[in-house]
Amino acid sequence: MSNARDYDLIIIGSGPAGMAAALLADRSGLSVLMLDDQPGAGGQVYRQIGPNSRNAKTFGFLGEEYFRGGDLAGKLEASGVDCIHQAHVWQITEDNEVFYSRKGAAASIRADFILMASGAQERPMPIPGWTLPGVMTVGAAQTLLKMSATGADGAVFIGTGPLFYLTIWQYLRAGFGVKAVLDTATAIPPAGAFRWILPALLQAGILAKGWAWRAEVRKRTSYQNGVRGVSLSGDGKLEKISFIDRLGKEREIKAGHAFLHQGVIPNVNLGMAAGLDYRWDEGQLCWRPVLDQHGQSSRKTVFVAGDGGGIAGASVAVTSGQLAAARIIRLGGKTPRGLPAFLRLRHWLNKAPRPFLDAMFRPPTDWIVPEDEKVIVCRCEGLTRGEIDQAAKMGVAGPNQLKSYCRAGMGRCQARMCGITVQHILAEHSGRPVRDLDYFRLRPPIRPVTVGELAMLAENDGQAI
Amino acid sequence: MGRQSSERVVIVGGGIQGCAAAYFLARAGWSVTVLEKDNIGRHASGANAGGVRRLGRDLREVPLSLAAMDIWKDLPAYIGEEAAAAFHPSFYMKVAIDDKGHGLGLDRIRMLENAGYQHEIWLSKRELKKRLPQLEGPLLGGVLVEGDGWAVPWRIVRGFAKAALDHGAEILEGCQVVQFSRHSSGVWKIETATGSLESDWVVNCAGAWAARLARKAGDLDFPLSAHAPMLAITERRAPVLPAVLGVLGHTLSLKQLDTGQFLIGGGVRATADLETDKAGLKIPEMATSIRLACQLLPGISVAGILRCWSGIEGYMPDDLPVIGMGGLPGLVHGFGFSAHGFQLGPGVGEVLADLVIARQTKVSLKPFCPSRFG
Ligand SMILES: Cc1cc2nc3c(=O)[nH]c(=O)nc-3n(C[C@H](O)[C@H](O)[C@H](O)COP(=O)(O)OP(=O)(O)OC[C@H]3O[C@@H](n4cnc5c(N)ncnc54)[C@H](O)[C@@H]3O)c2cc1C
Ligand SMILES: Cc1cc2nc3c(=O)[nH]c(=O)nc-3n(C[C@H](O)[C@H](O)[C@H](O)COP(=O)(O)OP(=O)(O)OC[C@H]3O[C@@H](n4cnc5c(N)ncnc54)[C@H](O)[C@@H]3O)c2cc1C
Repeated sequence: MSNARDYDLIIIGSGPAGMAAALLADRSGLSVLMLDDQPGAGGQVYRQIGPNSRNAKTFGFLGEEYFRGGDLAGKLEASGVDCIHQAHVWQITEDNEVFYSRKGAAASIRADFILMASGAQERPMPIPGWTLPGVMTVGAAQTLLKMSATGADGAVFIGTGPLFYLTIWQYLRAGFGVKAVLDTATAIPPAGAFRWILPALLQAGILAKGWAWRAEVRKRTSYQNGVRGVSLSGDGKLEKISFIDRLGKEREIKAGHAFLHQGVIPNVNLGMAAGLDYRWDEGQLCWRPVLDQHGQSSRKTVFVAGDGGGIAGASVAVTSGQLAAARIIRLGGKTPRGLPAFLRLRHWLNKAPRPFLDAMFRPPTDWIVPEDEKVIVCRCEGLTRGEIDQAAKMGVAGPNQLKSYCRAGMGRCQARMCGITVQHILAEHSGRPVRDLDYFRLRPPIRPVTVGELAMLAENDGQAI
Repeated sequence: MGRQSSERVVIVGGGIQGCAAAYFLARAGWSVTVLEKDNIGRHASGANAGGVRRLGRDLREVPLSLAAMDIWKDLPAYIGEEAAAAFHPSFYMKVAIDDKGHGLGLDRIRMLENAGYQHEIWLSKRELKKRLPQLEGPLLGGVLVEGDGWAVPWRIVRGFAKAALDHGAEILEGCQVVQFSRHSSGVWKIETATGSLESDWVVNCAGAWAARLARKAGDLDFPLSAHAPMLAITERRAPVLPAVLGVLGHTLSLKQLDTGQFLIGGGVRATADLETDKAGLKIPEMATSIRLACQLLPGISVAGILRCWSGIEGYMPDDLPVIGMGGLPGLVHGFGFSAHGFQLGPGVGEVLADLVIARQTKVSLKPFCPSRFG
């Protein structure tokens, strides 16, 4: 189809990776379009940074770190980058046509290069009762804080990881009471983690900050670590949390709200549906795209930067976005302008603490695969672990055959919630390591588009919306 | 029939044609091996729209389609109750929404009547309104076939595979045929990625890859091309559409599955790559079919499309399959179904088996003659 507007570069996602890349490309003379599904720039880490910076009194509890994002977002606004927000990208074709939906209509735009900077999602935590009303993810709780400074008094936080401590810290600063924090990590990091401590110390500041959040959380909440066997229950909504404490004792807490978190994993649906090569990452227990040092994917005109290329945090997102943009600028025959000095070194330094953090917060498989066969794994189709076991016993070779037996992964979320769990279950049954099983074959649209939107696509024919 | 050592047949391709042929041959006591490079039903046969229709068939294909339908109607007797439950007979309807379609429909009925067929009937505007009151838009009448319907393709293919296994066939998945040739002794030697085997007969049911396979043996050069027809499926909605629906003179096939999901197709094709087995997807090109669906059933425009996919299919220049003896003794072809071979499958399986066993079939295969392109 014909296109009214073409760009040198389309960037998907306006988090730190996308914003940093866009600024560099724009400065170097590329025409850049930014597509992002949120109302404004910021990504996950700096969500709502524009409005919240203007209202710092109310949102000050989010912390200094958060407001640093205002710098990037402000520069982006002042730049020549075209930004289309509330644009949900649902397909990238082989010839770099990007399809998206916005406010009930669909459109497409083409570019010479595409940079996927679409970030991460939280790792699903399928424990008994995780689908009960009153239970949500820590990230969702944090999103509410960032969007409207709202929260739930008396919630229980269950899980672990940097974002876990940060959000609780923000929750406390916002003045919400936290009933309890059940840390699934042990007090002392697993011995293996210390192999990585030296590089991590290069970023001692970051470690110290994490330590400080955790110390504050420990001091100000009823905190315990080494928690196992968490089970949520209640009549139609969450009422009770049972768990086994560090000493092996069964315990119970009454609560109406629980927030779960086991770290984040890259968003893979867009890239997989675009046909990029992905590889299982045993260190982070997730799929990540195969990228070269510039973020170039197996399709030479498509790049990936930020957490979508492997979890590494906001500062790495920035440097990886700049590295990718610099490469794209050069491939386009131009010279990067205002490239930060020692970019590669800084990128490397930013990444230094990651292996230590990965090892420290690596989720044991019982947080990935529920032991209890009655626990729902595929939320869209309401399938339990037991039902998936049964299908697996019929000898399915991988997730794609499984779909035909029991519809796992065929709902709205396109396996975002069950994919990795299903893969672990099939690995268990087949005796093969997870990395040897294929993943669900993902197909566009990666987000549901209505029949009406698609019908209008022919009529819009390339008009940007 | 007692098994003799000479009754060995290798079937290349575990799609609907290969699995159905395996079933009929194994049932007749032959020693059958199916070689499938991926998994049973992995390609067109598992990815298709599941339309089980006699409606609209090329006149030359009608006898085969009717013969296949006799098997569909009695499916449990062939593949068992459980697998057969994946077939949902209802009725198939192609409506006319413009003068062109109206003309096409009437011509079609006349042509079929002249040829002595009565399975397709014309419904007037009024009869159509009565039959499908939920449809909107200018409706000028339509062609109807009672008893056509849809099936969950994958389950049907598995059903034939399992029935073949029950009759002693062997099915090897992940087993690609890389070379095969006929020895002076009259025996076929088949080299696969995992080993080699011998057989008296080879049946080529390799779908879109079949011409490549034929070339390996030094048989005819078939003008087979590969394309990837596309489909879209929506989330679940309340049931409103009991029939499978098409539009005369336009590309649309629309059905509502038992899950409540709508399946929208229409013959629009994306590219297919036989080297990598990758099937493309050109969603915008489906928009025309999708718009038509919205026009007929405006209610579905708010339904979210969950997924689109395509499957690799082999097409012949005349849109008719190749079914018959190859140019080399002991080689039989059954491929090139040009996007309408799912319904034919059980019938094709039967004629392929008859060809191998008795060199004759109850349906004439003349229109499908492998050498018709010289
Ligand atoms: C829920 C959540 C909260 C987080 N909060 C923090 C935090 O407070 N502090 C912190 O240090 N780290 C946080 N992280 C970790 C965070 O992902 C990274 O540190 C950082 O945000 C990564 O930057 P990025 O540019 O790679 O991606 P992101 O910042 O995630 O930006 C990606 C952007 O792309 C958009 N997007 C994704 N897919 C599409 C699509 N198909 N179409 C259109 N737009 C799309 C997203 O909505 C987002 O705006 C959070 C992660 C998650 C999942
Ligand atoms: C999207 C779509 C919708 C369709 N809708 C309908 C419909 O509604 N109704 C209808 O009647 N028809 C429909 N069709 C057509 C129908 O699906 C096909 O005609 C039919 O499935 C063809 O079956 P087959 O067994 O010939 O091919 P396939 O199913 O492609 O099987 C061929 C098999 O051979 C294997 N193979 C190839 N080469 C080798 C080798 N060298 N060694 C080993 N194995 C090999 C392949 O892996 C493949 O599995 C549709 C097709 C598509 C793609």
